Amino acid sequence: MADAEKVDIPEDRQKEILALEAKLSANHFEVLGVPAGAPAEQVRDAFHALSRKFHPDRYHGRELGSFRARIDSIFKRLVEANNVLTDPDKRQAYFDANPFVRAAIRAATGTNPALKPQPAAPKSAEEEARDAERRARLARHPYLAKVSKVQENLARARAHMEKGEFSHAFTVLNIASQVDPQNADVKALLSDARRRAEHERSDADYKRGMKALEEGNEELALQAFKAAVNISASNHVAAFEAARLLEKSGGDPKEISGLAQKAVEAMPTKVEYRVLLGRMLDASGMKALAKKHFEEALRLGPDHPDVKKHVKKRWPF
Amino acid sequence: MAEREPVIGIDLGTTNSVVAFMQDGTPTVIRNRSSSNLTPSVVALSKTGKMLVGQIAKRQAITNATDTVYAAKRLIGRKFSAPQTQDAVKVLPYTLHAGEHDDIRITLGDKQYSVPEISAMVLRELKLDAEAFFGQPVRKAVITVPAYFNDGQRQATKDAGRIAGLEVLRIINEPTAAALAYGFGKTVNGKIAVFDLGGGTFDVSVLDVSSGVFDVIATGGDTYLGGEDFDNRIIEWLVFDFARENNLDLRKDRMALQRLKDAAEKAKIELSNTKETQINLPFISSPPGGGAALHLQKTLTRDKLEELCGDLISRTVSICEQVLVEAKVKPTDLKEMILVGGMTRVPKVIDAVKTFFRRDPCKGVHPDEVVALGAAVQADALTSTDSEVVLLDVTPQSLGVAVAGGYVRRLIPKNTTVPTSVTEIFNTSKDDQTTVKIMVLQGEAELAHQNELLGEFILTGLRKARRGEVEIDVTFEINSEGIVSVSARDRETGLQQSIQVTASGGLTEDELKRIMEEQADMLLEARSGEELTAKRAELKALMKEVEGLIPQLDKATQGSEFGRDAIAKAKTALEAARKAAEGPLLVRVNESADTLNRTVSLFKGVLERIK
Repeated sequence: MADAEKVDIPEDRQKEILALEAKLSANHFEVLGVPAGAPAEQVRDAFHALSRKFHPDRYHGRELGSFRARIDSIFKRLVEANNVLTDPDKRQAYFDANPFVRAAIRAATGTNPALKPQPAAPKSAEEEARDAERRARLARHPYLAKVSKVQENLARARAHMEKGEFSHAFTVLNIASQVDPQNADVKALLSDARRRAEHERSDADYKRGMKALEEGNEELALQAFKAAVNISASNHVAAFEAARLLEKSGGDPKEISGLAQKAVEAMPTKVEYRVLLGRMLDASGMKALAKKHFEEALRLGPDHPDVKKHVKKRWPF
Repeated sequence: MAEREPVIGIDLGTTNSVVAFMQDGTPTVIRNRSSSNLTPSVVALSKTGKMLVGQIAKRQAITNATDTVYAAKRLIGRKFSAPQTQDAVKVLPYTLHAGEHDDIRITLGDKQYSVPEISAMVLRELKLDAEAFFGQPVRKAVITVPAYFNDGQRQATKDAGRIAGLEVLRIINEPTAAALAYGFGKTVNGKIAVFDLGGGTFDVSVLDVSSGVFDVIATGGDTYLGGEDFDNRIIEWLVFDFARENNLDLRKDRMALQRLKDAAEKAKIELSNTKETQINLPFISSPPGGGAALHLQKTLTRDKLEELCGDLISRTVSICEQVLVEAKVKPTDLKEMILVGGMTRVPKVIDAVKTFFRRDPCKGVHPDEVVALGAAVQADALTSTDSEVVLLDVTPQSLGVAVAGGYVRRLIPKNTTVPTSVTEIFNTSKDDQTTVKIMVLQGEAELAHQNELLGEFILTGLRKARRGEVEIDVTFEINSEGIVSVSARDRETGLQQSIQVTASGGLTEDELKRIMEEQADMLLEARSGEELTAKRAELKALMKEVEGLIPQLDKATQGSEFGRDAIAKAKTALEAARKAAEGPLLVRVNESADTLNRTVSLFKGVLERIK
């Protein structure tokens, strides 16, 4: 893709830049190339090491072409990841908001990062005040009575849903839910629309990945599969494909096991997923966890080719 | 590539400037034509109509006070009507005027110069010295500014470089430069603090250094606190006593003022080594009604100087405290502490620093040269392919937009590593609002008009809808050159507008306030403008709690004097809280909440003990 461009960066470095750019949608730990759950010190050291390669100043005054934007977005992403993971409050908030990062840490370290004790009482009071204010603001308007507005939006949302336009439906429902957050119809439809919109986008990325795979561009495919997983952690086919590709290209077993973990969580009965996860955990030195998954795979499909190939040889029970 | 083009680092100081370059991997100062490392930042128009720069200009300052410009750095990038400029007008012997856009013009002879033009003359002098040294043209430079310079002051410094014929590769912060020079080529690993008290400005920065990577964690300071303020304290003291004895204000006489200034600076420097010094200014003035000429003769002791300037020194310490809090480090976490600037030779300053940081500052690099040396290190890092140095610099001040109600919504907080970009969603603040105005502000003040306006633009063609329904993406970006750009995008139509902040809008507070009022209908509403509502609710809950505790405490303390006193205080606090809760200021609400929180814990503590 950068063939025609004249760029004043050594070829190796160009490759490194492209590789890191493809990884930018991954979680903060993966972006910085440290094990999930790595402590702040290690995160900061990794950030400094990467800055030495990817800070835009390293390329000051050179012909960069499309690489200028790439380097810029890489460095901004590195700063973001470093800022979040080295600040205790931001780090906690990040874990709380991203269950699959938590899962990755669990998979990598075998420990569960503590959930933040919920400051339930003041938080909900604050939210309630905020909601009340929002409701009052909307209700004040004489022309748009709450009920008719909500019904109107519901109808629009249903029409969108029927046509398969899930993101539109989600937007409309979001407005409706601000007007009337108690409305059960809106709530149900909203979560449905959100799920479907995510699936839709995730599925599109998955298809993009399969197409790239057909064309033999594994790097692009991997990127697409990872994007699909990021949008919807329950897209197990994408997670599995991403993990397989990563394994093929000799990627970090911990990252692969993170992806496999997602696939297993979304579809616990699939033998291939279990076997892959088990193998990766085994490779990362977590034998006990690996054994658990192998046993489960053995139970699910004793005659599955993967089980025969990988499990029975290694775990002759 | 042929012989590499020379690049230089310049410390453009308030009183002195220094130029340096990288010689075989070591930063080295380039001497000027009078064989000195320091070039005074002084420009003068001689009586014969010749423009003088540097040492030669400084030497004739006393006899040519009105046509000698010094301390231009204190004026660069400022507006004429700014209070700091107005203060400066009172003490500077040369004449300042307002330009067309409220910029500052300096009169020399019958010509008027902008401040960047004056600074450019100093820069050109340094460039010429460097060219004489290299024997070839020099075109590229890194120039340092105080960390606390705002965008306008940085742009104006860049302009000065351009006028002098230099391509300014980068403007970097002085304390950062000092750290670069200090830590360069050494195996310093860990957090270091730089305390930079120069002629006109005070800066303090905390950096995290690890093998070549210089990561700025926090920075702060005061652009109007430096050696000249110490000098002015001495001048005031001299003038005050003289006026009492002779009924004559010496400051009205420009020549006398210039002599006083020189004497004060000299006395201050001497007191760094001795306990007392004589100030001798014969024939300083003649009485208005005629008669014998008056002389000024006084003894200044170190103790007296410390008494005169004690508050200035404590101000530096409180700024250090604040920066350390922002950096989330304790003085004991620091590996090293570097002193920069001539003022760090003053014993009392060293004492204060030692006490606060609980360690001896490190010596080694000359405090007057260290900044220029660091600028040379960065100039080399930017232009050579094999440099190991990377500087991760930060924004010294927050950036945000004005939102409905006259407040600021900050998108990029201070001390954010650059380059960076942030996008946030905003809403319209009025029904049927089809136009929003994006006002880009820099500063830490809660109220919009107390910040610096960097620029503004308008996004039109929004759909007519109820307030809050139209959503607008606002994106702030700072690129690696430190250039700020802001864009706004209508999420529905995709319509987009943007600006690049290139020059300071630099309006005065009053102007900005007026503009804010005029444009009240066109502003954005921050989604989290709801923060105020939330805090209000919190405050009201606290008020209820205190109200509930008062009768309990009354009963428990049985009308003792302590009880009556505490209850009276609580009632006053409640009254203040009521006002704050009704008011529009988030700061006030937060303050009141703090007070009430203290009251609650006090009351609870007392009730606990009495039980």
